[in-house]
Amino acid sequence: MRVLPSYFEDFRPGDRFTSEPRLVTEADLQHMIEASGDRHRLHTDAGYARDAGFAGPLLHGPFGIAAFLGWFTGSGIAADTVLAMLDSNWRYLGPIIVGDALSFEMTITRCRRSGKGDRGIVGRHVRIRNTAGTPVQEGRTAMLVRARDREAAPAREFFTPAWTRLVGAGLGGNEAFRRATATWDGAFALACGEDEAHFRVYKGQVLDAGPRPPNGPDFTLVADELVWTELFTAETDQFMQRAMQGQFAVRGSAYEYLRLTKALAMTVEVARTLFREGGAA
Amino acid sequence: MMRGHYIDLEGAAAFVEEWGQGPTVLCLHTAGQSGVQWRRAGPALAELGWRVLIPDLPGHGRSEPAPGGPIRDLGQYGAWCLALLRQMGAEHPAAVGCSIGGKIALDMACRAGASLRGVVAMAADAGLDKRAGAAFARSMERELEDSAAPSRSDRTYLGTLAVLGRVVPAPRQEMIATMHRREDPAVTHSDLIGWANFDRWAELATIACPVHLVVGSDDLWMSPDRAELTAARIPAGRYTLLDGIGHYPMEETDTMAELLDGWLRAFGEAS
Repeated sequence: MRVLPSYFEDFRPGDRFTSEPRLVTEADLQHMIEASGDRHRLHTDAGYARDAGFAGPLLHGPFGIAAFLGWFTGSGIAADTVLAMLDSNWRYLGPIIVGDALSFEMTITRCRRSGKGDRGIVGRHVRIRNTAGTPVQEGRTAMLVRARDREAAPAREFFTPAWTRLVGAGLGGNEAFRRATATWDGAFALACGEDEAHFRVYKGQVLDAGPRPPNGPDFTLVADELVWTELFTAETDQFMQRAMQGQFAVRGSAYEYLRLTKALAMTVEVARTLFREGGAA
Repeated sequence: MMRGHYIDLEGAAAFVEEWGQGPTVLCLHTAGQSGVQWRRAGPALAELGWRVLIPDLPGHGRSEPAPGGPIRDLGQYGAWCLALLRQMGAEHPAAVGCSIGGKIALDMACRAGASLRGVVAMAADAGLDKRAGAAFARSMERELEDSAAPSRSDRTYLGTLAVLGRVVPAPRQEMIATMHRREDPAVTHSDLIGWANFDRWAELATIACPVHLVVGSDDLWMSPDRAELTAARIPAGRYTLLDGIGHYPMEETDTMAELLDGWLRAFGEAS
């Protein structure tokens, strides 16, 4: 049987947990109506909901979050160590109606130790599917969890200043990266939400790696938390596949981005190696 | 034993390999590449009782460039291939192609299906969604300018690795991606403009020969649904999904000749 993560140190980016189906009942709908006081006809009038194109009265959107949290607590993960939920960023992709069997897929995204060191933030990406397997909700929610000790593990704390420095040092010692950027003078950044990792490069040398360079980057490669996490924790290199599938956006000079294709593939490779050798254990 | 020919075709020298004896099968390569992609599957197919013809399309490999400049209409390649088959004395031939080669083979079925044994179109369908095709054609037009196409060779190499199937061992992947760097970008981009603009949806119902659409499950360039739909709209259409294979089946798997042999023999039974 799988050992459930408890303390901050037990969580690994990329770890994935899935639930058994959870049936949505008429009582769920009534409880949501009572608790929220939201009696809009979409939730209370089957005819109205049908006219709006739905198979029946809709559960309120936040029911998905509530049901996820119910499953999470029931799973026993971090049962005695969780201290708080810090945020929830949610997208409602499709309707949830009575009779749906929902399933939850949770991927641990980022792990970041707090300043004091006695606790840490664990990012969770959540996908909720209906009976047919169609995603109906997707979101991110972070929680605060007690730490067992105070030992830093920057190799798995993606997009922190310490992780950025590690990646920068890895690139500095990478001969292929040096060759790929031997005629380049510029800076590039990887962005995940509000967090950015900047690398300033001059003729193959990484001059600086950190969150805030004095000058902005030539381009920034942007992706969401789940994409970066899956990329850095994957067993095989997936940079180009994901680029071809449109999972990255580029801000700044698209030309310099194209020019640095190989260097970016190596940057991801360095991050993957760091995780595999220093962060996964 | 391979017989190599330079033949005069539409005002330029065309190079074509000929292997084996039996009913003729024409094997077509992908955008910017050459007949070398069939170096394993071609001779192996000939061993199974087929006369295999492997041309380098105009401007590719050992064939001279098309007199009018790089071709950007796959229909022009289709007509060129039919002329080549006539000149090589092929009777009731089959055609097999991959990627643009698959679309060219499908074009041949639209043009001259009644004279063909059948067509295997791998990594191909009747055409992209209009808007996606137009957007892709625009980006390829831009990249025809060298100044807009940085890291061209790296992107061919990494882009090839990205669309190979998961069953292909790493050394074979490295070999395929390395060989794909041997392209003329001006020709490749013109080919890809042809790929982007290709549209044969309206003609599918009139195709007079059997057509087998084949897609690898790991092929990021292809939507298996569109290939399946293409097959469904062809009177004698068939569709196969190859598990664990990517965009270049004839280079990725050593079982290609046996698979093709079975599919081509099924054409004989169908017609």
